[in-house]
Amino acid sequence: MKTLAYSAFTANAFQTRLAYRNQVWAGAFGDLVFIFARIAIWISVFGAAATSSVDGVTLPEMITYALLAGPILYWDYSRLLSDVDTVVRTGDIAVYLLKPLHYPGFLLASHFGNFIFEFLAMTVPVALIVGLTFGLVPPAGLFHGLAFLAYWALSFMMLFTLATLLGLAAFWLMTAHSLDWFFGSIMTLLSGGLVPLWFFPGWLAAIAGHLPFAWVSYYPAAVYLGKLAPLQTLIYFGVGLLWLAALMGTLAWLWGRARHRLVVQGG
Amino acid sequence: MARSLAVIPHLVGTYIRTRTEYPTAMILGWVSQFVSYAAMYTAIALILARFGVLGGWLWPEIALLLSFHLLGYSLGAAFSFTQFREMEELVRKGTMDAILVKPISPWTYLVFSGLNIGYAGHVVLAIGLMAWALTQVQIGWSVPIALYLLATLAGACMIVCAVMTMIGATALVWVRSRHLYSIFFGFWELARYPLNIFPLPLQVLMLTIAPLGFMAYVPVAVALGKPVPLLGDWAGPASLLAGPIAVLIAMAHWRYCLRNYQGAGG
Repeated sequence: MKTLAYSAFTANAFQTRLAYRNQVWAGAFGDLVFIFARIAIWISVFGAAATSSVDGVTLPEMITYALLAGPILYWDYSRLLSDVDTVVRTGDIAVYLLKPLHYPGFLLASHFGNFIFEFLAMTVPVALIVGLTFGLVPPAGLFHGLAFLAYWALSFMMLFTLATLLGLAAFWLMTAHSLDWFFGSIMTLLSGGLVPLWFFPGWLAAIAGHLPFAWVSYYPAAVYLGKLAPLQTLIYFGVGLLWLAALMGTLAWLWGRARHRLVVQGG
Repeated sequence: MARSLAVIPHLVGTYIRTRTEYPTAMILGWVSQFVSYAAMYTAIALILARFGVLGGWLWPEIALLLSFHLLGYSLGAAFSFTQFREMEELVRKGTMDAILVKPISPWTYLVFSGLNIGYAGHVVLAIGLMAWALTQVQIGWSVPIALYLLATLAGACMIVCAVMTMIGATALVWVRSRHLYSIFFGFWELARYPLNIFPLPLQVLMLTIAPLGFMAYVPVAVALGKPVPLLGDWAGPASLLAGPIAVLIAMAHWRYCLRNYQGAGG
């Protein structure tokens, strides 16, 4: 019964997004231009390198990496942060606390709906255009293709948990706006969304490769391309699960604190 | 005209006082945006560190391009972005009607009653990066070159302000226009990099319909003596004209939208 209620939040979020068609094509166009910029960079630097592969990575693999690590895995968490920011600032959070629901669970359900919508309406068309224009490489093998799906689920949960943790900080700071920027900067550098870790200096790759942000973009895309051996793939998946468990534990603890810390302004 | 000019300092002062009511949030905002852009530039620097060159540009030259882009954008956006992003809300709620009957130009009121000081972090980073980059690149300094860079920086502000004005004004006719910012920021992203790394259709687009190529790439390429695709020797004069032309087009669009404004019903 409860699960059904939460799935209704997912469906509701999906349907709400359908109402704003102009945002869909504009968002898809924005994503397309962004990914074209990324791909143009890789085409340019690979062309200048005058070699078919750099650090064991070919240009077609790099184009595929840019699509996977960008639009596909790195979904728009800013909407989630903005939602939490708004309900805390306006006091609407009190309404959610009165309802028989778990607020982080509600956020997960509704933003999964947003994710599905953006994936179908924006990411898939962008991926098709990129695929037809530049070509994309298939998964390195059946194992890596299936492992990528598991990593994708882990990636979604990792980004959701990190963003929700930040959002809950709004209960103390009364705003999540600056946190969004701070988090964005960490993700830009350490998730591998823009530059894969194999192009990092060794010391920075070693640090970034053991932080949870790398499981959002870098590891799933690297697994898809077969850059991790099967045993490594399983080990790093286990490490990612441990990170996720630790972050979800922190989220549960912080939510318990936040509920009792709530100050509703005005009235 | 004189009355409008007299009111502007009061509008700006009032808005700044509202921002400085929350000094911690304000400074946190500046720092967070500084860090965010610095992270993006670090990522670009990592690519350059590994590959050495991007479209024939070395890291110090790219750094100059990025800093020029950020400074032009932040100064232009301070006069326009948050103000015109709210236009659709003003139209939807009917608040725009109240602005239209004020004894001051609606554009002047909108721009100066929301002059955004939140771009301080951007400006500090841009000036710092630019100061470093200028010590690393080879520019044949002269008075005309210095004046050219200042004029094109002003032109970059004009382009940003003009495009933001046009997007905001569109809400007067369409009611919704905020989604158009996704398109703007797509081209804005492209404007960070040397134009010659993009395919020809994108280059044409960035120098015509979406003239953000003139925001940073063309002026910096001219200053560095690099060849500019499509424009060649006309790159210098064209980049000086781009800002004023964008302003004229934005003025015509603003007036057209005001003439055709009918409210959002209700």
